[in-house]
Amino acid sequence: MIKVTMTVNGKLYTREIPPMMRLLDFIRDELKLKGTKEGCGEGECGACTVIIDGDIYNSCMVLATSCEGKRITTIEGISGAELHPIQEAFLEVNAVQCGYCTPGMILSAKALLDKNINATEKEMKEAISGNLCRCTGYQKIIEAVKLAQKKLKKR
Amino acid sequence: MKKRGIGYAATFYGTGYGNGFPDESRATVEINANGEIILSVEVSDVGSGGISVMWQIASETLNIDRNLIKLQYDNTSKMLDSGTAAASRQTYNTGNAVLDACKKIKINIDKYYNKVEIIKNKKVLTELYQKFISDNQELKYEGYFKATTSQVDLETGIGEPYWPYTFGINRAIVEVDCETGKVDVIDVVAVYDAGKIVNPVLAEGQIIGGVSMGMGYAIMEEVNVLKGSIKNCNYSDYIIPTSKDMPKVTTYFVEANEASGPYGAKGLGEPAMLPTAPAILNAIYDAIGVRLTEFPATCDRILLELKNKGV
Amino acid sequence: MKTVGKDIIRPDAYDKIIGKAIYPDDIEIEGMLYAGVKRTTIPYGRVLSINSEEIKKVPGVVAVIDYKMIPGAISHGVIFKDIPTLVKDVFKRVGDCLLLVVAKDKASLKIALDNVKVEYEEYKGVFTVEDALKEDAPILGDGSNILYDIKVKKGDIEKGFEEAAFIAENFYHTQMTEHVFLQPECAVSTIDDDGKINVYVATQYPHYDREEVAKCLDMNEEDIRIINTTIGGAFGGREDINPQCHAALATYITKRPVKVLYSREESVISHSKRHPMKLYYKTGVKDDGKLCALKVRIYGDTGAYASWGMNVLRKSAVHATGPYEIPNVDVRAQAIYTNNPYSGAMRGFGAAQVPLAHEAQMDILAEKLAMHPLQFRYLNAFKVGSVTATLQELKSSVGIKECMEKLAQIDNIQLDKDVRE
Ligand code: FES
Ligand code: FES
Repeated sequence: MIKVTMTVNGKLYTREIPPMMRLLDFIRDELKLKGTKEGCGEGECGACTVIIDGDIYNSCMVLATSCEGKRITTIEGISGAELHPIQEAFLEVNAVQCGYCTPGMILSAKALLDKNINATEKEMKEAISGNLCRCTGYQKIIEAVKLAQKKLKKR
Repeated sequence: MKKRGIGYAATFYGTGYGNGFPDESRATVEINANGEIILSVEVSDVGSGGISVMWQIASETLNIDRNLIKLQYDNTSKMLDSGTAAASRQTYNTGNAVLDACKKIKINIDKYYNKVEIIKNKKVLTELYQKFISDNQELKYEGYFKATTSQVDLETGIGEPYWPYTFGINRAIVEVDCETGKVDVIDVVAVYDAGKIVNPVLAEGQIIGGVSMGMGYAIMEEVNVLKGSIKNCNYSDYIIPTSKDMPKVTTYFVEANEASGPYGAKGLGEPAMLPTAPAILNAIYDAIGVRLTEFPATCDRILLELKNKGV
Repeated sequence: MKTVGKDIIRPDAYDKIIGKAIYPDDIEIEGMLYAGVKRTTIPYGRVLSINSEEIKKVPGVVAVIDYKMIPGAISHGVIFKDIPTLVKDVFKRVGDCLLLVVAKDKASLKIALDNVKVEYEEYKGVFTVEDALKEDAPILGDGSNILYDIKVKKGDIEKGFEEAAFIAENFYHTQMTEHVFLQPECAVSTIDDDGKINVYVATQYPHYDREEVAKCLDMNEEDIRIINTTIGGAFGGREDINPQCHAALATYITKRPVKVLYSREESVISHSKRHPMKLYYKTGVKDDGKLCALKVRIYGDTGAYASWGMNVLRKSAVHATGPYEIPNVDVRAQAIYTNNPYSGAMRGFGAAQVPLAHEAQMDILAEKLAMHPLQFRYLNAFKVGSVTATLQELKSSVGIKECMEKLAQIDNIQLDKDVRE
């Protein structure tokens, strides 16, 4: 067992974990945050996307121990009493169908807009290209990111 | 060199189990002491929006704000059998059962509340409940619907195998790279008749998702089986469209009212993917003059066909 | 109307965007065990032995369950009950379930399953529809390899082709595809104090699952509860039973809550596929552009088990004409058993394969007629009162011509509408 300390959604956690534990399992099984999903376990689908120090990662491909001292954001961490504008936008344009890809999509969109509020449509498509969605055909997801961009600019 | 092509394809789709198979749906609607309507219906929302459709049909029929209608759709001990979330049958079949249940309770609601304005206030429903109790009215009503189809004769095919039918046409524009064989789908216009559309933005979502699955069918997806064993079991080798692959999709509905459907609606989930693949394949032919007869139209197949044709 | 026809935000979306929607794998219960199955790795054969006794001794293993321990039915299926819940002796595909192992955690389960050793007697399998139809082919079905055979006949096909000015005749071959919904299969089952079993699963049809679980456990349907969680996509791939019976069986035997969770790979191996089809199409058109004859032969590879194979091929046969009125039709469609993965329901369900052929034929003929492909389709499209190949009259709601008119308007194509009636 190895001791690891990281900040998840603004809260500091210290846990003793097996050295090979994936960050995905740390989040889901240790912290009981079930919004981060597993779709493939091989770094191909993006359902497990989280933000680590501002960049997106497939948490199924990251060892939890490698996150010592890092700041992690999961879907549970992006809204408080009010929804994040990206979440609002996903609701408003119907960017959600089965919802399994949705947490990952929202985090990929957030990481993009946090870094570049003026992102173009092409950059948006690029930013979510690691997040597979079998239901929506992506168009409404891109629409939602654009709407969120507008909302965030107004703030 | 990249070449552009345009292709069309039209399809139809008979919804429901069909072939005279008992295609039944049930729903119950109940008024309770808290001033709520409880709609229990077996609607498995696989992402399709089925829950929303049932909720909207109930709200429309009851003339009660949807926020006062609670749905119960997840537990076999709390809902009756409404069949599968399949065959694009939920809106038409199960929607009709919801409509039937709501019409039944509405007859009795109308005895006490007969206004045009939608009921938005819990208090109104609580009062209604009390009147139902004092007049000894049933609180719970069961709705039922059975689709009418007939079995086809296996020797002649004669019969009425499905009802109703949904229709669609796609126009696709593609760009084919003659050096690499890669097909880019640039633009798709998708026009459907699924009867009355209960929720346009959800229906549009079904279509765009269907276009994406149709596109995968046309140019990407193939399960490779060797001696009965699947060789591509992950997203790394079973390729589906990503955000970067998707064309611009424009959706239209012409709503040919179906009198037997709830508010004139028919099914949509499966028809949404049907015309896209053939439209793309026809566009590829239009672009490069070779017609594939083995699918999908992967780079390798296209290059091979171009070579065979001596292009 | 106040609600119908309006863009309403779907009620299930909120939980999905905040990460609170519950899919089966999000359920954790105190004392929950993990179960999984060892699957066949060869396509056709018979089990000679399995080292079950050794597996029982693997640390962390709580129960090892084979077909003999199933209290009720040992197989399931949407129409024919031919898919083994756990194999008795003979199996017909790669991915059939041999042994159900229950362990205290995921890690012990993995070790146990990796250590299952199976001795097979391998049979010679068939992997193409052509081979399955040969005289000496092994028989996979009930006395024959043809699961279903349907003919659809209208008018006089010979006469129809005699009238044709142009004929297109081609073979098409559609591929097998897979649903790859994003959420791999998972089921969690629990047992109440009174012995009732609850199964939490993402399914397309809870009442069907209840029936199969009840049959498997030899219990009354009222004593089984299926709770449909949020469903991470389906597209037809959650119509057959997959983890439901295994989870319930493991709970029934251990009296503990149990989770069965598939990897992506297991998901792809386990559930049904879209039928690959070989299609022969011969389509005739008169010089005025009216379709006059269509002959079609369809061979669908239905794989090892029946699933919805009959219904899929029926749908192909009925939809083989496309949305066009053709006076003379001769269609025959067959669902044929092989030792490939079993084919079943997938979005489009037999009506997805035939358009790849009939719409290619339409374009080939339009080119021969030197007619715009949209105009050619418009000329032949169904309208109210049209009679389909099965002699069904389309009495109402036939909007295909309107769809074409709308598309023509968008793309600025002049359609000759005189031909409409
Ligand atoms: S689960 Fe991590 S990328 Fe698919
Ligand atoms: S909404 Fe189902 S995978 Fe994206």
